[in-house]
Amino acid sequence: MLRIENLHAEIDGKQILNGLTLSVGASEVHAIMGPNGAGKSTLGYVLGGRPGYEVTSGSVVFDGKDLLDMAPDERAAAGLFLGFQYPVEIPGVSNVQFLRTALNAQRRARGEAEISAGDFLRLARAQGEALGVSMDMMKRNVNVGFSGGEKKRNEMVQMGLIDPRLAVLDETDSGLDIDALRIVGDGINRIMRKPDKAVLLITHYQRLLDIVEPDFVHVLAEGRIVRSGGPELAHQLEREGYGAIAA
Amino acid sequence: MSLLELPSNRTEGWRWSDLSALPEIVARQPAGTVPEALPWIGCAREGPRLVFIDGKLAADQSNLGTIEIGSVQANPADHALARLVGSEGWKLKLGQDHAPQGLVQIVHVTTGGADHLPAEIELDVDAQASVVETYIGEGWANRLTSIRLSRGARLMLNRRLLSSAGYVSLNDHAVIGEGASLIVATLSAGGADTRMDGQLTLTGDAAFAEFGGALLARGTQRHDANLAVRHEAVGGMSRQVWRSVADDKATCSVAARVEVARGAQKTDGEQSLKGLLLSRTATINAKPELEIFADDVKCAHGATVGELNRDALFYLASRGVAPQEAKALLTQAFVADAIDRIGEEEVRDAFHENAMAWLGGR
Repeated sequence: MLRIENLHAEIDGKQILNGLTLSVGASEVHAIMGPNGAGKSTLGYVLGGRPGYEVTSGSVVFDGKDLLDMAPDERAAAGLFLGFQYPVEIPGVSNVQFLRTALNAQRRARGEAEISAGDFLRLARAQGEALGVSMDMMKRNVNVGFSGGEKKRNEMVQMGLIDPRLAVLDETDSGLDIDALRIVGDGINRIMRKPDKAVLLITHYQRLLDIVEPDFVHVLAEGRIVRSGGPELAHQLEREGYGAIAA
Repeated sequence: MSLLELPSNRTEGWRWSDLSALPEIVARQPAGTVPEALPWIGCAREGPRLVFIDGKLAADQSNLGTIEIGSVQANPADHALARLVGSEGWKLKLGQDHAPQGLVQIVHVTTGGADHLPAEIELDVDAQASVVETYIGEGWANRLTSIRLSRGARLMLNRRLLSSAGYVSLNDHAVIGEGASLIVATLSAGGADTRMDGQLTLTGDAAFAEFGGALLARGTQRHDANLAVRHEAVGGMSRQVWRSVADDKATCSVAARVEVARGAQKTDGEQSLKGLLLSRTATINAKPELEIFADDVKCAHGATVGELNRDALFYLASRGVAPQEAKALLTQAFVADAIDRIGEEEVRDAFHENAMAWLGGR
């Protein structure tokens, strides 16, 4: 589904990704772990197409298409979802308006009919309930005044509604207490654990991986994957630290 | 009109206006072509509906209700444009305790030339009215409105300036009595240049005045608002909330003054003038002014100019929203502060729709 080959990327002339290669197949959950500054978030932003993140060489193919050739909104319409480590606050735009705009933009881009207001509200309510996001919260401005945990749950509501093919989740577990971690982890499993979907889970810690069990674990250091393995690699990292394994 | 005397940019109150197109418009004959569908706002409480074509009442398309046509008392002072309006216009006069009569809607259609029209709104003790004026067409629509509110009267006056080309100039003089309330919200979302002048005086204790709006400009458009709110009595409150958006080489200018006279203690005045530049070649001017001669007052003012938040644009893009629509959505959110102050839901929604249509969103 996703094939990253020898990816090099920089920000403001500073090289962050140094030849990253990774393949993600349908039905797979891959965890990317690594120390601070390894390039984990950069990988997410490069895949999402954030302005300022410049790919200097390498390729990314998503469902047979050149991902790097697409604008960020086109990547989303093609089925990519980027979960933000720090979801952005948008004063003056309600969650409901934001979600409906996004959903319909993607539908139009795929040549599908727009969703009716009634259908949308039913869908939004169902996703919200599953993730402990009330309709009251849905009517508030996007992420404004939300706690860290509420923002992350809100990301999952978006993911549930948008129903992507591939989710790249950047430290979705940061800022979550134990209960919220369970809600978010169950959400990822419910929405993304399907034969035709895949997840790239960027995280520092084992605890999310106890709920969303990865099929593959990769260690990212200095902008490239230095080691790959099964779920046991995450446990080993937790025990021994990055220093021993990334060295 | 044989002679058109216009102020120059060297006069402080006119330095951001460009009146150079007016002589040519004045020389033109109006075409008289009126669109078939007029922008009426559907609402639960229908009131009088008036259509003015080139400044003249189109009686066959109007339902006057309580509104009269005739000689109007409106003092243009020495305002260069307002003094052109003449003395025949429309009058809304409501007696004491007059129950709300439904939404008054007035559509001004200008068809290529210049038209001038005065108006007078006078609400007696505790009377209430809500008026929406919509400007469409092209040419020069020039207006002067005199407003007098007696004790406890309430007036909501909302305006949409949707003319496709030319010029719209509005001048308001309002006197607001004890406990009375005046709210004026304006949306400039057409292709014409606009100029607004307002002089609001709070003469009674605990009066309330709000004068604000959203100015949207692109191309080489210019919107220019010049306002003064004068507090002459105790315990008055005023709000001036303006949101300006300028793209391309357009200019939006808002000069807003609060004057607090000696003795007007406990005045609470607030100004919020915010500008959004959609391109680096556009211009926003914001000039808040305070003139205070009382010592126990609260006057806050803020003026900011910025650009769209890049993080928010990328966030929207990452959810599949194309750049043009994302820009429109964020810009609409920016101007929402000003439009949300409109009380009636149907009117508010219509104004939001007009803003969104201008912004090119969906």
